[in-house]
Amino acid sequence: MLQFLAQHSKLFDQIGINALLALSLSISLRAGSLALAQAAFMGLAAYVGSIGAVNYGWNLIECIVAGALAAAAAAALLALPIGRLRGVFLAIATIGFGEIARIAEINAPITGGAEGFSNIPNDAGTPAIYAALAATGIALAIFGRSKAALTIAATREDESAARGVGIDTGAVRLRTLVAGAVIAGVAGVLYAHANFFITPGDFGFPRMEQILVACVVGGVTSSLGAVLGAAVMTVLPEAVRFLNDYREVSTGAILLGFILFAPGGIAGLWQRRAS
Amino acid sequence: MLLQQCANGIFLGAVYALFAIGYTLVFGVLDILNLAHAAIFMAAAFVALWLVGLGAPIVFAIALAIVFAGLLGILLDRVAFAPLRKRNAGTLVPLISSIGAAIVIEGVFRGIFGPDERRFPEGSFVSTQFHFGALTVGALDLIILATALGLMLVLSYVLRATPLGRDIRAVADDRIAAALLGINLERTIALTFFIASALGGAAGILIGLQYNSVSTDMGGRIELKGLAIIILGGMGSVTGAVVGAFVLGLVETLAVAWIGSSYRDAVAFGVMFVLLVLRPQGLLGKRALRAA
Amino acid sequence: MRIANVLSALTAAASLSLAGASIALAANGPAAGKTVKIGVIADVTGGAGAYGTSQKNAYDLAAEDLAAGRIDAGGAKIVFDVQDSASDPAQVVNLTQRFTTDGSALLLGPTLSSEAKKADPLAVRAGLTILATSNTAEGITTLGPCVFRNSLAEGQVVPEAVGKAVPRWKVKTAAIIYGDDDQFTKSDFDIFKAALDAQHVAIVDVETFHKKDVDFKAQLTKIAGKKPDLLVVGALQEEGVKIVVQAKALGLRAHVIGGNGLNSPKFIELAGAAADGVVVGAAYYPGNAYGGNRDFVARYKKKYGNAPDQFAAQAYAAAQIAARAIKDGAVTSEQICAAFKRLPLIETVLGPVAFLPTRDVRAASAILQVKGGTFAYFK
Repeated sequence: MLQFLAQHSKLFDQIGINALLALSLSISLRAGSLALAQAAFMGLAAYVGSIGAVNYGWNLIECIVAGALAAAAAAALLALPIGRLRGVFLAIATIGFGEIARIAEINAPITGGAEGFSNIPNDAGTPAIYAALAATGIALAIFGRSKAALTIAATREDESAARGVGIDTGAVRLRTLVAGAVIAGVAGVLYAHANFFITPGDFGFPRMEQILVACVVGGVTSSLGAVLGAAVMTVLPEAVRFLNDYREVSTGAILLGFILFAPGGIAGLWQRRAS
Repeated sequence: MLLQQCANGIFLGAVYALFAIGYTLVFGVLDILNLAHAAIFMAAAFVALWLVGLGAPIVFAIALAIVFAGLLGILLDRVAFAPLRKRNAGTLVPLISSIGAAIVIEGVFRGIFGPDERRFPEGSFVSTQFHFGALTVGALDLIILATALGLMLVLSYVLRATPLGRDIRAVADDRIAAALLGINLERTIALTFFIASALGGAAGILIGLQYNSVSTDMGGRIELKGLAIIILGGMGSVTGAVVGAFVLGLVETLAVAWIGSSYRDAVAFGVMFVLLVLRPQGLLGKRALRAA
Repeated sequence: MRIANVLSALTAAASLSLAGASIALAANGPAAGKTVKIGVIADVTGGAGAYGTSQKNAYDLAAEDLAAGRIDAGGAKIVFDVQDSASDPAQVVNLTQRFTTDGSALLLGPTLSSEAKKADPLAVRAGLTILATSNTAEGITTLGPCVFRNSLAEGQVVPEAVGKAVPRWKVKTAAIIYGDDDQFTKSDFDIFKAALDAQHVAIVDVETFHKKDVDFKAQLTKIAGKKPDLLVVGALQEEGVKIVVQAKALGLRAHVIGGNGLNSPKFIELAGAAADGVVVGAAYYPGNAYGGNRDFVARYKKKYGNAPDQFAAQAYAAAQIAARAIKDGAVTSEQICAAFKRLPLIETVLGPVAFLPTRDVRAASAILQVKGGTFAYFK
């Protein structure tokens, strides 16, 4: 057992970070918008948190705060032009934003471009990651009991009806996008500070797909689900090593399986059993 | 030189158009952004390559691989989309399930054919280059251009003037009303997937021939570019997608010529982003398909 | 079948003895009877799958050759634990962590430099010796006191290649095309540019592309307009093939030069006639006669159906280097690190190699030219 824990200690850190990312996406999904910019927010914060640490000597807390603020600002700016977009159009616009962000990271003079940014202090260990996850989970749980959570659900279920009862659905979408960006930003800084080295390729469309898959497998509207989904999808590639060359098929098959047979994800299975 | 760059842009646009016609058709009819289109595109190229390797004549191999792609499209619909239609899962869930299907298809093909890049044997298809003064044009460039335009015309005609086209348009318009009119919904959708995927497969084979390259991740880049194209052209419109593809091809080529190649993709996605933001409602594809 | 194996073992032993290498097949070294586990991390699947597959193939072949005595480990048993990291840095990190705790005495890999920079520090912290076989970026061996590499970096081969090509072709002007979103190809640009500057060649145009691009005609048309004497291709094989093919189709008349990225039999196979005349500065010449290379190439071809590329050769050479250290009695990670540091010049399929005090490899680079569908020395 100890041997297992020692061998896989990095896996636990990755689960924590991926859980934060899944939570960050699930907030937007709860308001009914498929905004696929999480990887871009994560990357922006990762670079802010890495450049701050290496060039200006910030500590981990300062890096996290700065990274989260930068991601929040980017989300607020992005929300302005895409405010009117819905559904698939929103998804495509945010995918485009993510690609533009990645190209900017490649070309910016301060990021090290494709050769990456190295010497990032390795100060985000398991305790820091799980403290951030716990804080996020508690904040979301408290928030889930508030009135604001109802306005989010109302926006998702029927936007025009929500507007009819006086909910400013535009503001709801803006706030969920910014809140999600803050969490993605925290995750991005932790990722950088747990991995010594980052490149723009860490924050491209494949990362976004990975976050989306974790969210869907976990169950889009549940915090616990998002965390479980991230855990399952992070462990999966290690668990199916025996499949050899067909290993990546398992990710797609599990995703399809959940969408087709358990649309509520892991959280849905849980609730179904409970009820 | 500008002349050559414009030619480059148009031929690149033709390549994009081949890919985008099927991509946009599924979107127009079903409101599904089918991210597995790129996987079928790749699968057809591998099947054609495999058949050529077995000694099949190239034209026969291409035809068979296109049929294979169409059938794979029907299978994709049955497995990944039809169950979602039954429970009215909306338009976002199919997008995610298409990601799952794409991972499975790519994984299976990588497992069978390995990660190595391959090519069609030299001389298996035309590779002549024509020189008009300073302008260089490949025979395959012209074939791809003609195929893209031809397919656009044929498909527009099918949609506008045949019973099948009428059914498809009715389904795109209002699925429930179409069913009430006695249109066989599932059959029409299956045929739509067959056509779209067969076109995607044809694109994969021709592009594999054009660039001497067939690999399991060959659909990766064109998939995201395809998003830009269907936005540029008005989602769901076949003619629009072809126009959008030429616009993107020219924009990219001229971005290299005038702005600098480092910013080529940023310009392409920037144009898409701005267009989406400035004309979000005017780009809805339903109207476009009905008018097709 | 069995007879064929025995025969090939005999011919291998014969060719080794001809090459002057030791053929002490008897189990009599200081590590005789001991088992040494070596962890290998390779991207067998995913985006870098083509490279990792070559590496895995080479280790599988090396394991056979160790068992058959064609590689001499002084009677020690070497076990390669080859794990696929699926071109996913997170999996590289996990596997590295695993190899630091499961009794592995040496880590070979990972495939890409960007993965190494995330994962190697974990091994360094745990005191696990690393031998990188395909990391070419700056700042790999400086990650720790026991991080070695047997791959010649671009900086070690490109200046020589440029130094040979420029006077030979009387180059006055050059254009560079490179991938700006990949660590390897980006560093290609920096190194080629410095080498060309040193030779006082005017760089008339610089163009970039992105990984997995297939159409380079816009960039190449622009380059053609500048009429350079030399076209520098900073690309991996996949994009490099398309660049030389399209450059030829567009009628670009410049000489073409590239780095390690183009040094692959696959490059010639896929590019066909367009590859003819291309010069590459590389770390491996498939036609060399050192360290059992001829035999390695023949058996690799027989087993996998295609010729070994540089990734395979570097991996196989790593197995030869590790076997030599173990044969001399090094069985723990610490001992292997020390053995590498005092390794004499030994023969491998890459040629004679040893390690520099910087733990980079000391080896000759191969300046090659494609001629009639195969690589030959560029004269």
